[in-house]
Amino acid sequence: MDGFGGTTLRINLSTEEIERTPTDPEFARSWLGARGFVSKILYDEVPRDADPLGVDNLFIVTTGVLTGSFCPVGSKVGFGCISPATNGHADSSMGGHLGPELRYAGYDLIVMEGIAAGPTYLYIDDDTIELRPAGDYWGMGSLELEKRMKKDLGDDFQIATIGPSGENGIVFSCITHDFGRQAGRCGVGAVMGSKKLKAIAVRGTKSLPVHDLDSMYKLTYDIIQRTKTHPNMAPWQKYGTAFFVGWSNERGCFPTKNFQETYHKDWEKIDGERLVEDCLVSDKACFGCWMNCGKYTRARIPGKPDTYQEGPEYETIALVGGSCAFTDINHVAYANHLLDDIGMDTMSGGSTVAFAMECYQRGIITKDDLEGHELRWGNIDDFEHFVRMIAARRGIGDIFARGTKGAAEALGRGTIDFASQAKGMEFSGYDTRWYPAQLLSYCTCDIGAHHSKSWTITTDIELGRDTIEGKAEVVIYLQHIRPLFDTWSCCRLFWGELDVTPEEHVDSIKHLTGWDVTLEECMRVSERVWNLNRAHFIERNGGPGRKFDVAPARHLDEPIPGGPAEGKVVGRENFEAMLDDYYANRGWDEDGNPTREILDDLGIGYAADNLEKLGFLGKPIPGGIPKVRGRELKPKAM
Amino acid sequence: MVIYLRSGGKLRDRLKPDVDIYTRKVEVEGTPTLEEILEEIGIPDGLVAFAFADGKVRRLNYRPVEGDVVTLQPPVSGG
Repeated sequence: MDGFGGTTLRINLSTEEIERTPTDPEFARSWLGARGFVSKILYDEVPRDADPLGVDNLFIVTTGVLTGSFCPVGSKVGFGCISPATNGHADSSMGGHLGPELRYAGYDLIVMEGIAAGPTYLYIDDDTIELRPAGDYWGMGSLELEKRMKKDLGDDFQIATIGPSGENGIVFSCITHDFGRQAGRCGVGAVMGSKKLKAIAVRGTKSLPVHDLDSMYKLTYDIIQRTKTHPNMAPWQKYGTAFFVGWSNERGCFPTKNFQETYHKDWEKIDGERLVEDCLVSDKACFGCWMNCGKYTRARIPGKPDTYQEGPEYETIALVGGSCAFTDINHVAYANHLLDDIGMDTMSGGSTVAFAMECYQRGIITKDDLEGHELRWGNIDDFEHFVRMIAARRGIGDIFARGTKGAAEALGRGTIDFASQAKGMEFSGYDTRWYPAQLLSYCTCDIGAHHSKSWTITTDIELGRDTIEGKAEVVIYLQHIRPLFDTWSCCRLFWGELDVTPEEHVDSIKHLTGWDVTLEECMRVSERVWNLNRAHFIERNGGPGRKFDVAPARHLDEPIPGGPAEGKVVGRENFEAMLDDYYANRGWDEDGNPTREILDDLGIGYAADNLEKLGFLGKPIPGGIPKVRGRELKPKAM
Repeated sequence: MVIYLRSGGKLRDRLKPDVDIYTRKVEVEGTPTLEEILEEIGIPDGLVAFAFADGKVRRLNYRPVEGDVVTLQPPVSGG
């Protein structure tokens, strides 16, 4: 099977049975990989009442059709499960080297079920697959463990780990690899921990069969030559994503003090320029990448040991740096290391601490709840103490281990109004009150609020930040094109920044696999995944779908108090109107339930049958569903 | 004064390159800031994250000098 490792693994962690089957070509073509594989397998196999941290959830490690190829850049690996944060479909991906290594060992997909009897790690060395005891590793930090396992197994193993956070079921736990790459979102690390799986170690020495090597080589060579001299390459190489802090701040969307404000007056102290000048050790790249946008850094804080970490990148600077109101890039980098090693997503982790800081500011939690400590804005010692309380689930840390939504539900007192989350997952690092399409993107996102599925800050600027007109269609387009890169399992930045087109990615797939595939077909797969995930969410959580597409009160009602976006707020009427527009353009009914017509059109009529049995199938739309769902914005919207 | 603005990504369509596929030659009077130049040629400043000239980051209050080659970096999400 050209373009694929060729083998799918099924591992029962309870019984230690390991089954190897050839990867099904029809399944691969229908779902394309990673996010698509996860969507279909979770929908078909996980009982609707399965506890996300229980024995019936699955834990999936998956590559995509482009993983391990030199198409720019096939470095990604995906993880899937039912999310403990949202109780819905979860997919989260990371770069580095693990995905390609897995493919070079011959595996496209690993589906794990059950729960191991004790701490375990999965060992793969080409054809040798073993579940090995990990008692000695249990309790270790993610970064510390990776170093240890490289020493134990050899530097040529690629290793993914969880930290104490994942072991203890904190719902925003991540999976770490390559000393700083994370599958951060959706709590995939908590599910891995619930399986008692501490790590995955892979060495692969085979190769990928390529259908048309000459054409693949020529296309890749042309792309490399073109992008090497692209004007935007050098700034990317030098600064990575951290450089967007100033821009975001000036645009009035930089989350500050738990999204109370959107302008950080000390932004220059935590911006990318400070990071490069004060902390940079070296650049760092994922598999097969010539961009090197990763920044390996050292944080120095008097009285604390120096730490070395990859990052912080933009999202961490926004949600740890801005949202917790730090004013020293060393503190942000140190916090990045702390969260990475403990095994928490820096985005949801930063947001959860920021949310707790606001609770402390308001007197909702006090020193009595904090083991005598405080929780002051911008204080790294308070930050560290509280993160360790959460990781160990000590005292009130147990409440915040549930994320901002779970904590707000436990705390009451109106705290849910200032928990910036959707469906239980915390917002990415962009305030939405002057960016209505971004609010719509977060609140309709199939995995909970996340920019990776639709990022519309520049769309809002292009179409006008004070209007909602025309936004829903663009959000839908982005919700299909952006996750496609997670499905193909390759880096999105070459498309976003360096003009490598989606069509060129499709050409790579053709050369790799021999498939006669088109971008239109791929976009249709992406839409199929989106709709299947929607049906799955409703089947698990009840309906109607609209009741889950909810925005936090802060982003609807609370005008921004100052800065470039002073006075801006989306408003409930506008938000509901955008939802109406969004559903109509998706072919869903006004309650946000997919209709039979759209599900049949996408080849997933079985989901319509299931929704109908539950009473949540969308009512037929007079005049039928739109022929084209979504609209590409020109000039290009990312 | 003549300067050269360069960009790809989402800015290229707006920049309307005329020297090569990424570069536009721009004639300006006086010593305007980059922000003023962008406004003059119809690029909203919100679509430029930062500029890059002579190997250094330049903010939009930067005043280009004769012959400057200024790369405009479009914002992108990530990290």
